[in-house]
Amino acid sequence: MRGRNRGPSPLPERAARLWRSLGAAFVILVFVPPLLLLVSGSLTEPGLPPSPTPQLVPDPVSTAGYERALDLGGLLRASLNSVLVAVVAVPLSVLVASLAGFALARLAPRTTAVVVAASLVALMVPPTALLVPRFAIFRFLGLTDTLVPLIAPALLGTSPLYVLVYYLAFRALPADLYDACQVEDLSPVRTWWQVALPLVRPVTAGLTALTFILTWSNFLDPLIYVYDRDLFTLPLALRSLSLLDPTNFPVFLAGAVIATLPALGVFVLAQRRFLHDHSDPRE
Amino acid sequence: MSAGSEAGPRAPGTGAGSPAGPDARSRRQLALMLAPYLAGLVGLVLLPALVTLALAFTHYDLVRPPAWAGFDNFTALVEDPIFRIALTNTVVFAVVAVPLRVLLALGLALLLHRRTPGAGTARAAALLPTAVPEIAYGLLWLWLLNPLYGPINQVLRVGGENGLTALGRTPPQWLTDPTDARAAIILVSLFTMGETFVVLLAARRALPRDVYEMAAIEDATGWDVFRRITLPLMAPVLALLALRDAIASLHFTFVSAFVVTDGGPPPYATTYLSLFVYQTGFEYLRYGYAAAATLVMMVLTLAAVLVQWRLVRRYRRFYPR
Repeated sequence: MRGRNRGPSPLPERAARLWRSLGAAFVILVFVPPLLLLVSGSLTEPGLPPSPTPQLVPDPVSTAGYERALDLGGLLRASLNSVLVAVVAVPLSVLVASLAGFALARLAPRTTAVVVAASLVALMVPPTALLVPRFAIFRFLGLTDTLVPLIAPALLGTSPLYVLVYYLAFRALPADLYDACQVEDLSPVRTWWQVALPLVRPVTAGLTALTFILTWSNFLDPLIYVYDRDLFTLPLALRSLSLLDPTNFPVFLAGAVIATLPALGVFVLAQRRFLHDHSDPRE
Repeated sequence: MSAGSEAGPRAPGTGAGSPAGPDARSRRQLALMLAPYLAGLVGLVLLPALVTLALAFTHYDLVRPPAWAGFDNFTALVEDPIFRIALTNTVVFAVVAVPLRVLLALGLALLLHRRTPGAGTARAAALLPTAVPEIAYGLLWLWLLNPLYGPINQVLRVGGENGLTALGRTPPQWLTDPTDARAAIILVSLFTMGETFVVLLAARRALPRDVYEMAAIEDATGWDVFRRITLPLMAPVLALLALRDAIASLHFTFVSAFVVTDGGPPPYATTYLSLFVYQTGFEYLRYGYAAAATLVMMVLTLAAVLVQWRLVRRYRRFYPR
């Protein structure tokens, strides 16, 4: 399916390449500026009258927005909470998803079909539709105003989709491999840990990155479950920072940059795996 | 993603259910491995869905125990003007924004699936906004869209005088005019079609190369290739993604409506069902009523699934494989 040998491109093909590169440049020009503006807005001096003309580089460049965001918003404390949630939830979530995906790939087809169907149904339900009942359940269990409801989605593998991705990955491993493990009398858990998991390492890397980004960005759950300022995660602290003074944009944009950096960093590390051509000659 | 597409063609009967089959002890162990996920699936999705169904028929304010209300909540919903506006807004948003998002993602995928200089960077750029936390992204747009000092209107005013654009018109009042605010929410949502884009990129790369080579030999124009080859081959994926996006649109309007426009400008121009449910439940503490609205949301989801299902089936009839 993937052509390995392509001859020298004829002339119209060259023109098409040029157009495509121009298109790519246009895409970059549309999608990158909002994020550049986020950075430049956060570096504007707070309290100055807004300039009448658009500025990409603020004058003067000032980090006062960051200092105030950290003071006023309690962003340090909130970052710690966010890190705490991520450190517990992300490994747990990947563990649950990979265990479940492996079990689905090895169990009887009928059991698998039922669980896969249930997972697809769960994927269809919009998260906002579950707000009220989930809240009622967590309140009944006395777990509101703790970080537990923020970690709980890890039991779902954060999204049933990730369980299904693991299932497909484990199912794609050759049957001989599993037979060999059975002959060797390896238990399923050891087959999973010693044989199967190392073979799907790229999947684990990608899903860990996605799980981290989703967990780190989670805004809806803390909004519903957490009221104690000391338990605020970064997205929630950011929201209350913006309510403090909605006109002082450098301050809340500085907070937004702080909240964005970890997610974006993980994304940049991970995107090479699933976006770039592995056979790119320039690499 | 990559694992999924590689698994496809060789899937049936390779791994699952090997001839010997696991013995009883192994099966028990496998069941234990599945157990945490099953607990999550039941406890966090299926059980809450059932609780919604029950709460929708009660008056419940968290203080007193739920009281049976029969169909009161539903009759109240039908007469509630705010709910009707929220429902209309939600459907209009889905009808306008979802096709735009899918088309944009398709355009980007077709433009960027090849190896050309700059394509790799452009792919990453198109995905960047999706990786930004929702709330940070919302706050960014709260500033960008500010009618007075937001950069977007500053750019629009370049060359004009007295706060007008170069064409002598008033720039859009993103946060205060109902129509402009709805347009703003759609604009904000367009930048975050990254997931759809990635899937379409993978789908386009998986299309058989020889079909395109044949079309090139027959001197087919670009439009013909798109209409006769690319579109029919990708239609099932597109339908699936449109469905997914329509359902997701019930959710992803929440943060932008909550943070950027706060449901306004009056009267409720950008109040969507998600915001309505949140406000009814968590600001006015009418959980039974919010559950009834949630139920309407789930019915909408189901309707979207059915409509898409029919479309796919009709498509199959026209283009039998």
